[in-house]
Amino acid sequence: MTMPTDDATRGAELASAWQRAQAGDVAAYRAALDMLARRLRAYFSRRMHGAPADVEDLVQETLLALHLQRGTHDPSVPLLAWVHAIARHKWVDALRRYGRREALHEPLDELLESAHPAVEPAPESHHDLQALLGQLSQAQRTAIVHTKLEGLSVAEASARCGQSASALKVNVHRGLKRLAALLRGEGGWM
Amino acid sequence: MNTGDWIDLLANQAGPAPRAVVARRLGPALALGVALAVVLATGWPWRPWTAGSAGAVLALKLGYTGLVLLAAAALAGQLARPFVVAAVAARWRAPSRLRAGLAVLVAGWLTMALLAWWSVRGQAPSPWSAFTGGGTASVCAWSITGLSLPALAAGFWALRGLAPTRLRWAGAAVGLAAGGAGALAYGVVCPETSTAFIALWYTVAMAVPAALGALLGRRLLRW
Repeated sequence: MTMPTDDATRGAELASAWQRAQAGDVAAYRAALDMLARRLRAYFSRRMHGAPADVEDLVQETLLALHLQRGTHDPSVPLLAWVHAIARHKWVDALRRYGRREALHEPLDELLESAHPAVEPAPESHHDLQALLGQLSQAQRTAIVHTKLEGLSVAEASARCGQSASALKVNVHRGLKRLAALLRGEGGWM
Repeated sequence: MNTGDWIDLLANQAGPAPRAVVARRLGPALALGVALAVVLATGWPWRPWTAGSAGAVLALKLGYTGLVLLAAAALAGQLARPFVVAAVAARWRAPSRLRAGLAVLVAGWLTMALLAWWSVRGQAPSPWSAFTGGGTASVCAWSITGLSLPALAAGFWALRGLAPTRLRWAGAAVGLAAGGAGALAYGVVCPETSTAFIALWYTVAMAVPAALGALLGRRLLRW
């Protein structure tokens, strides 16, 4: 059990990082996503008795959804209420997808909590980023690789690949939305 | 794939969060729906209705339908964001705009009910004629439903790019806003003059796209 004060401190730290991230602080955004990933991992681990990679599939899918929908967070609503709504939505969606495929699989073993493998600090999911990027259009892939993987600024990436700055931003956003659809379609877990 | 790498990918060059995404998507979509409904209502070559009304009756029609349109659009705007009902009781109250939108809707319906009662109160023993008006009830209901369809489609397109988590409610809210758009446009050409007619049939007709939206919401709004 964590002490309430400890929990409150961590909550305040997260809220502050998120606030700075929403204003454009990328380092704070990374920190906030990292803190949220831990909470999501705990949230999904408690609900599914799968391998850590299955939990991680959902964590990553939910992080992507948080990123794509970060503009819908109303600052007057507590951050965790908003995150919880998205996590719960993704969990229900995953159950629905799993239910459709359940007949194809062996039933899950009823493992005791103590028998679960320990979760590493940053476990791997089933997703293969290169394979996923390979399914995007050329323009979307280029935009994401330049700005998101190589970390070039929009201006640098624009000079490199010849897309205008606004086209580049649109292609990054559309590409990430397409990735979200691919993650759902593949249904990562199980 | 490692989650740390995934976070790096998301955060790299992320910039500030986009602002006012709900208003910027839902607003133009519903405005387009209203414009299409008005064009269809006034420019339809074979429209079965003839002339509109004027003065206080027209003001009542436009006022009531405009109110429903705006209040339902405000509700849809709130329901387009991730939202968990359980969290309302435990940690925070429903967003004030959600409560305000609902309060305005209920107040609008109560006002229309009171006005209808007031207008028929002297007509005993048969106030029913005020509710049937000039006999265009069926045309009214079907026309409003038909005229609301462009706004319904545009509203669903808008919600599909946002993040509703109460799918049925979000669909119902955007459906009601579409009903308001269709009824607003129909109000311009509707020949009826009875307050009781407006209170009954406009309300019924606006509820049809709302119900349609609730039915379609669960299927079309998943993300």
